[in-house]
Amino acid sequence: MGSLLTAVKSKMHIFAHRKARGLLEGEYASIFRGNGLDFDDLRDYVPGDEVRDIDWKATARTGKPLIKRYVATRRQQLLLVADTGRNMAALAEGGEPKKDLAVMAMGVLGLLALGHGDSVSLVHGDVAGTAALPAKGTEHHVEMLLRHMDAVGLDHEPSDLTSQLEYVAAHYRQRLLLVVIADDVLADPRLAKVVRRLQAQHEVLWVHIVDAALAGPRAVQGTALDVAGMKPVLAFLAQDPALAHSYAEAMAARARGLAEMLSTHGIATASIATTGEVMGQIFLLLERHRRGR
Amino acid sequence: MALKYWWLLPLGLAAVAAVVILLWRRQGIVISPTPVAHAERLTELPAYKQALASYRKRLVAAVVALAVLAVSLLVAAARPVSESSTVPEQFNRDIMLCLDVSGSMLDTDVAIMGVFSQLVGKFQGERIAMTIFDSSAVMVFPLTDDYEFVAGELAAATKALGSADIAIDYLAGTHEADGSSLIGDGLASCVKGFPAAENTAAKSAVGDNSAAEKGRSRSIILATDNMLAGRPLFTLEQATELAKTANTRVYAFNPNDYGSSDYGSNEFGMFPLLGDAAVGLKQTASATGGAYYALESEEAVASIVEKVQATEASRLLGAPHKSLVDHPGVPLGIAAVALLALALLRVPTSATARATASVSAWVRRVRP
Repeated sequence: MGSLLTAVKSKMHIFAHRKARGLLEGEYASIFRGNGLDFDDLRDYVPGDEVRDIDWKATARTGKPLIKRYVATRRQQLLLVADTGRNMAALAEGGEPKKDLAVMAMGVLGLLALGHGDSVSLVHGDVAGTAALPAKGTEHHVEMLLRHMDAVGLDHEPSDLTSQLEYVAAHYRQRLLLVVIADDVLADPRLAKVVRRLQAQHEVLWVHIVDAALAGPRAVQGTALDVAGMKPVLAFLAQDPALAHSYAEAMAARARGLAEMLSTHGIATASIATTGEVMGQIFLLLERHRRGR
Repeated sequence: MALKYWWLLPLGLAAVAAVVILLWRRQGIVISPTPVAHAERLTELPAYKQALASYRKRLVAAVVALAVLAVSLLVAAARPVSESSTVPEQFNRDIMLCLDVSGSMLDTDVAIMGVFSQLVGKFQGERIAMTIFDSSAVMVFPLTDDYEFVAGELAAATKALGSADIAIDYLAGTHEADGSSLIGDGLASCVKGFPAAENTAAKSAVGDNSAAEKGRSRSIILATDNMLAGRPLFTLEQATELAKTANTRVYAFNPNDYGSSDYGSNEFGMFPLLGDAAVGLKQTASATGGAYYALESEEAVASIVEKVQATEASRLLGAPHKSLVDHPGVPLGIAAVALLALALLRVPTSATARATASVSAWVRRVRP
């Protein structure tokens, strides 16, 4: 049991105090609803459970709502697709390194999968290449996956998330729960093409880690370094109101492009700007996915 | 045009170069920059590219302005001067206005002051002094070529002599001895009033001052009625001798001369006296090479000016004098323009330059 997962667990524990404990699990469990699951036992209803999963007869007998629990006939696999290029060593909008947010999001999803008895695997990489880690259902394994993300530094190669997605599209045949850990990527035709392919084959969820703003009120202070080219960015030039305005317009157009691409394929998405938002946004992501279907 | 401290230029340029190298080295001080991803969100904007280009231009302009400022200040510090050697012409005529302020003269003194003022107005560059005397002599002002001052003094004298109240104060010190109108003493005082008048020849070897005094022509414009009362230390003849020895010309004004040429034939007792006085003055004037005029004489002023200026034997030339004229205007003007340009450019130079440099240094360190 490693330290990264401990941090994720403590975060989940705090979250559990604010929302009902089973809430997240219920949301997660509903993802594969109807996928050939066999009835296992009954458990108490918690908000978030599908109403159609309620065993009405058992409920009538006991006087409290009960949910039918299923045993997966075959183990589901959660595949995390993450960018481990040096883009993730850059800062998120909240000022933390993006990889910290990614570790937290991946840890939460991994623990949910483990709790559900699923296995977790990871496809990660950068512009130089993509690596696939096998699917296993142990906490030790999840910890190891998180370490791959945590190891990201500025000495890594530049990022290219699309090539990781293309790797998944090319190599994974069976239906997976696919969670993409992405940042402010540009919705270009190459990305749109691979997303369409993945969506046809898998359940796809999209976690958007929001990059640091380069202009406007939440812009980075001091000197900025473009991690792609390792060159200074004269962010202070964006203090010019006209430039800040055109930046805001361009950012809105970019966000609209990505949102359109994902929504046309019915992919649920959530944006995370700080580690504090991770739990809530993952919950929203799962709920959106359930509702969107 | 030359640079007086030309060695400041290489020295200053070396200092500037040293500072630049030092600053260049100090780039090693790293402020770890904020890493951001997808910087193309900003850097690909046309507005950003435009702003970057204009910023670069301003930066280049600022560096140029700074260089111009440094060089022009160095040039100004090196003191651009134009050297010229001039031989100053010295005005070599001294004139002593010598005014009898005895009671018999008081009525005519204002008129005499008018003549003096006219005279002073005609001279250019000559040094002028003024002495008033009755039984003793007082120097009103010593030799000076400050004509404004002289005119002021003459105006003050005119005003004082015109009113009896002020005259008492003005004439203080002129009545220290017994008697009145001691012409000989007055003339002697005037002669002595010239600096080192007597012993120029003897003292010429001593110093420059007496040597400089040597070639000067001296004139006394003596206004008196020559009505002696009392016993002077010097008779008029003795004083004349003194003037002759000192090579000083005496131009005499006589207010009591009404133009009659033959005083001796007058029947009234007064006239022989007046005649004697006029004759004495005439003798004095002619003995010293000067001239005698009646106060009313129309041609007196023009004649005196002509004669005094004719005494110039040779133009007196001073020692060649090297003079340096500074020309700081052009370099300092250029420096001011450069400074203005720097201010107008409003480049946030220090912060951004340091930041950019530190990022470069940081990247070099991270990715060798």
